[in-house]
Amino acid sequence: MISLRTDLPLGGDSASRFIPWLMAIMVFLGILSVSGVAVFDTILSGWSRAVTGTLTVQIPALSAINEDSANQARTDRAVFVLRSMPSVRSVQVLEKTEIEALLAPWLGDAAAIGGLPIPVLIDVSLSDDATMIIENLRTAVKTVVPDAIIDDHRRWFEHLIDLTEGFRLLTIGIALIVTTALALTVVYATRASMAEFREVISVLHLIGARDIYVATQFAKRTLSAALKGSAGGLLAGAFTLITISLLASNVESGFLPDIDLGFGFWVSLPLVSLVATALAMVTAYITVISTLRSMV
Amino acid sequence: MQIRKSLESTDQAAALELDNVSLSYDNGPNVLTNLNLSLPSGSFHFLTGASGAGKTSLLKLLYLAQRPTHGSVRLFGTNVTAAARRALPAIRRKVGVVFQDFRLLDHLSAFDNVALPLRVSNAPESEIKSNVSELLSWVGLDKYMDAKPETLSGGQKQRVAIARAVVNRPRLILADEPTGNVDDAIAMRLMQLFIEMNKLGSSIIIATHNEHLVKKFGFNQLAIENHRLSELPPLGTNGERP
Repeated sequence: MISLRTDLPLGGDSASRFIPWLMAIMVFLGILSVSGVAVFDTILSGWSRAVTGTLTVQIPALSAINEDSANQARTDRAVFVLRSMPSVRSVQVLEKTEIEALLAPWLGDAAAIGGLPIPVLIDVSLSDDATMIIENLRTAVKTVVPDAIIDDHRRWFEHLIDLTEGFRLLTIGIALIVTTALALTVVYATRASMAEFREVISVLHLIGARDIYVATQFAKRTLSAALKGSAGGLLAGAFTLITISLLASNVESGFLPDIDLGFGFWVSLPLVSLVATALAMVTAYITVISTLRSMV
Repeated sequence: MQIRKSLESTDQAAALELDNVSLSYDNGPNVLTNLNLSLPSGSFHFLTGASGAGKTSLLKLLYLAQRPTHGSVRLFGTNVTAAARRALPAIRRKVGVVFQDFRLLDHLSAFDNVALPLRVSNAPESEIKSNVSELLSWVGLDKYMDAKPETLSGGQKQRVAIARAVVNRPRLILADEPTGNVDDAIAMRLMQLFIEMNKLGSSIIIATHNEHLVKKFGFNQLAIENHRLSELPPLGTNGERP
């Protein structure tokens, strides 16, 4: 057990009052940043899992009314061609009700879209999604249904990846800025504190205290103040995330991707607080050591 | 390795040696000029001189708060002027200092102030407790162990400062006007403490204006006059030198 006893007065100076607030804010922002990175990672991997090795064949409905039999024939031709290809693992024609459910958030319930020419969607699962295979498949399907649309999801998925990756990098950047701001502010606070306790440091110095001893005193003091603040920041961050999760769970499915950050994420949140506390303590220690070098 | 060996101290070495030491502040005029001195271990000296003569500056050189502008200072055989900064704390622990303004830490109790030199040396708490308690009893402050300096009188603060200076049995004790704020009875008791420490092997230098004290105890005298240092034989009780 590390003793937090120090030869420096605790709580009496501006730095002692300032550091807990600073830590609370930084840990709160740090938790939001880390959560942002985790959310974007989860979204990306979920999308990646969902679209890798799959494609969708869309058979547009013929515009003329009462063309159900012709539409069915076009669908059957496309399904036949798809099933005959060796790289196709499965072919699943979506039921009309499933398509209506997909469109419902935008167009309303089934009754409202009943008269519209709804295309047929065919989910295709591939054992190999190499570009060449997809191109062969596209050519084969278009031979039997020339206006079929083969969507391998790549174009929109790549744009989404770029966008999401951009957000992810932005969040990492914010986390780095928060970390740097924390370190710089602790440096400033420690120097201010050293100026305030100049006499104490001088006495410790003259009775034979090594720089390490004095630096440890400041590090312990910073640890004590930082622990209080980071605990507050952790609680505020966790409360905010839980609130956002509850609000997100009330949103109808389809608008937001399913994001399950998992038990591990919630358990690891205190790590943000511990890392920030350790960073503050080490920064204070190094600041004192480097400042004391200028003394006799 | 050679340098390190030459810096290492030996028990037989003089407690302190000054070799052509001069000191000035911020390129100003010398406050100390060409001091030469060698004091054997176990010596006892009064340091005298008019106000502003440079007594405190000399003490600062000896407790390593200041480096000389010229010349070298050796403590216990180690050239502290040339020593690396990281070597100085170990030497400072062998020097006990009673500052003229006490320099007690206001937020610590009398006990914790006296315990500081032992704590920075990582002494075990059991040793700290017994040594500090015994010493505070010796200086008559056993009932004030938990008192903060601001609640103590000037004389009590001075006794705490003296206890802090001697608690780790330093090889050299430097005291700047240590009896300046106490009555004669306490002054005699504190002098007795310095004499006991001297008998245990500590070298003592006491800076004082108190001629009565200098005459009464008759130890050798270091006098600073016109920024220069001279070693004088003891004053007789009649105030004259033999």
